[in-house]
Amino acid sequence: MFISRSEYDRGINTFSPEGRLFQVEYSLEAIKLGSTAIGVATGEGVILGVEKRVTSTLLETSSVEKIVEIDRHIGCAMSGLQADARSMVEHARVESQNHAFHYAEPLRVESCTQAICDLALRFGEGADGEESIMSRPFGVALLIAGFDEDGPSLYHAEPSGTFYRYDAKAIGSGSEGAQAELQNEFHKSLTLSEAEILTLKTLKQVMEEKLDSKNVQLASVTKDKGFRIYTDDEMAEVVGRLPTN
Amino acid sequence: MASVFHPGPPSGTPKYSFAQQPNTASEGARQHSFYPYTDNGGSTLGIAGADFTIIAGDTRSTSGYSINTRYCPKVFRIGGPESRIALSVVGFAADGDALKERLDTILKMYKYQHGKTMSVAACAQRLSHILYGKRFFPYYVHAILGGLDEEGKGAVYSYDPVGSYEREQCRAGGAAASLIMPFLDNQVNYKNQCIPGRGTGHELRQRVQEPLPRKDVEQLVEDAFSSAVERHIEVGDGLQMIIITSKGIEEIYKPLKKD
Amino acid sequence: MPGFDFSNHNRNQALHARGVPLPKATSTGTTIVGCIYDGGVVIAADTRATSGPIVADKNCEKLHYISPNIWCAGAGTAADTEFTTAIISSNLELHALSTGRKPRVVTCMTMLKQHLFRYQGHIGAYLVVAGVDPTGCHLFTVHAHGSTDKLPYVTMGSGSLAAMSVFETQWKAKLTRDEAVKLTSDAIQAGIWNDLGSGSNVDVCVITEEKAQLLRNYITPNVREQKQRDYKFKRGTTAVLDEKIITREEISKYVTVHELDDKNESAVGEKMDVDS
Repeated sequence: MFISRSEYDRGINTFSPEGRLFQVEYSLEAIKLGSTAIGVATGEGVILGVEKRVTSTLLETSSVEKIVEIDRHIGCAMSGLQADARSMVEHARVESQNHAFHYAEPLRVESCTQAICDLALRFGEGADGEESIMSRPFGVALLIAGFDEDGPSLYHAEPSGTFYRYDAKAIGSGSEGAQAELQNEFHKSLTLSEAEILTLKTLKQVMEEKLDSKNVQLASVTKDKGFRIYTDDEMAEVVGRLPTN
Repeated sequence: MASVFHPGPPSGTPKYSFAQQPNTASEGARQHSFYPYTDNGGSTLGIAGADFTIIAGDTRSTSGYSINTRYCPKVFRIGGPESRIALSVVGFAADGDALKERLDTILKMYKYQHGKTMSVAACAQRLSHILYGKRFFPYYVHAILGGLDEEGKGAVYSYDPVGSYEREQCRAGGAAASLIMPFLDNQVNYKNQCIPGRGTGHELRQRVQEPLPRKDVEQLVEDAFSSAVERHIEVGDGLQMIIITSKGIEEIYKPLKKD
Repeated sequence: MPGFDFSNHNRNQALHARGVPLPKATSTGTTIVGCIYDGGVVIAADTRATSGPIVADKNCEKLHYISPNIWCAGAGTAADTEFTTAIISSNLELHALSTGRKPRVVTCMTMLKQHLFRYQGHIGAYLVVAGVDPTGCHLFTVHAHGSTDKLPYVTMGSGSLAAMSVFETQWKAKLTRDEAVKLTSDAIQAGIWNDLGSGSNVDVCVITEEKAQLLRNYITPNVREQKQRDYKFKRGTTAVLDEKIITREEISKYVTVHELDDKNESAVGEKMDVDS
């Protein structure tokens, strides 16, 4: 794919003669290596689902944290370099708290996504030659789910700093197959429990391991309960509802 | 450690206000002082109705016994044309102007960043933070913020110079605040008014507050200011009223006595 | 004992040093002016009395009678102008009685300055003295510390600069009575509009050899407008916690009861200007 490797690969903020930023494009590749994460937005709320790659039987699965809370009304799922996601989530949490502190109202989901994407392009040298925070682009993509005054919404944020709103979106290694499945199965009148099933069903199709209640994680964002990560019991209940085939 | 610097108990001997030390020039460095604040007089007023808010202020700007100008607005619409928020500032006019410009910019930036106009409640909280941000070099102003809340009801928020704030039915600020506020307490919140014919002693019932119609509030504001002009030398020249309704913002100017 | 009572001075000084503020005296802001014309002299004043930024009296009298042919306009501490002019008026009358002559304006001015100088400026009276006597028309200013001036046109008080600007642009020698009245009242109005310490109406006093004519409220450019609303309260609005009726028969046991006229006017000293 990248036959014409050249010195444009190295300069982080340098365009190639074809008008490409190689490092940013490579960072998108890093996400394709990550575990699959899926988000489905319904009228009742948003469901986030991720696969946990259990690489060893000695691994404590509860320590794999791929869905995190940003605020009481916003959560996110990640795929790619998890360490990078930590600093993005930290930034989003600070933005969200700052907004609530200054304006006595919750931050909107789109504003939160924008705040995260503002951070994405702060690599390389600064415009005035000041020290920059990062030496490379983030190697992670996020699915940001939230509930604000306009209802539930789901956003996808990339390392390039662009973001789009989706009804349903899959990222990570199995994203191509998963996205096709979502494309077929999604409809506007999905209920929240139907979305739980759709998410797990889609994950199941693209996962290499056999899906069980330990190697996947679900979370939801609703008006009443805000962001919530499913407990082991709730996970078992949803997995139990999966149609067997 | 702190006790080392403790000044000790105050002595009981009387101190006199005139200088006891020789005030002839000594060798040490001479200290110059600069007082950065001025009082520009004037008065403001905000009243919330059921579905409207009126923010008013006189237009005189003074320093000492002089009139700087007979038309210097103290009430401003802020946040651009779609916004339904008004701010009044009285005290030190330069600080008032700076505060208004800053909040106006923040409101406009908010619209760009979040794709919606700011609610009064959010604006109220933000203003409080701006004021407290200058806790040790305050904006020397009494600010009153007005608008319509999420339910469309009139909302008035009033502030002290360092950001303590409260939502109220009505509030007067500035030079003639002490003259206008008791009038408002009596005429808007019906303080010290009983319902006639309910008997005497403990049978008496206080008259309960109810939202006033817009016409009545406008008349109260005009009477409050024309009366303040009579008894306060720093109030006069013109009355500026901003009326916020769901349909939009109206501005009314009426002349006041100029003596 | 005549004179001032200083017995509280030490106590007040100590209280002041401990931070107790001095009580506020009425009126420092004022515009008063005077102007000589052919055949007489005119003095004029505004009618605002202040206490700090508050208007204490909207229509006070700042033109004080000294003798039938001498009047005085006062600025500064209201009580000081009031009492100083009254004292000098008394003494000047006694002086006229013992000499059998009409009092002279210089005499009045000299008595005022000596009185004020003795009190080293603590009596805060700033005065414009005007009158006509057998030696002619005279116009003086007297400052609280005792200094005096004799000039064809004078201004004093916080509005003195505003008023003087009118004199300096419009005054001319050989004014007629009407021109002088117009000029002085214009000077007062300059103070009324442009000085916050001055306001309300213009009082004028025209003094000629024959008589002194006080034109009280000569111009009233600041009449209060009609209020928008009616603020009459229904009977019963004020809480009455207890009621006790004492009949006339009962009270007659202790005092003598007189029936007043229907109008009740005799019971009122000065009619207050109350909003109708």
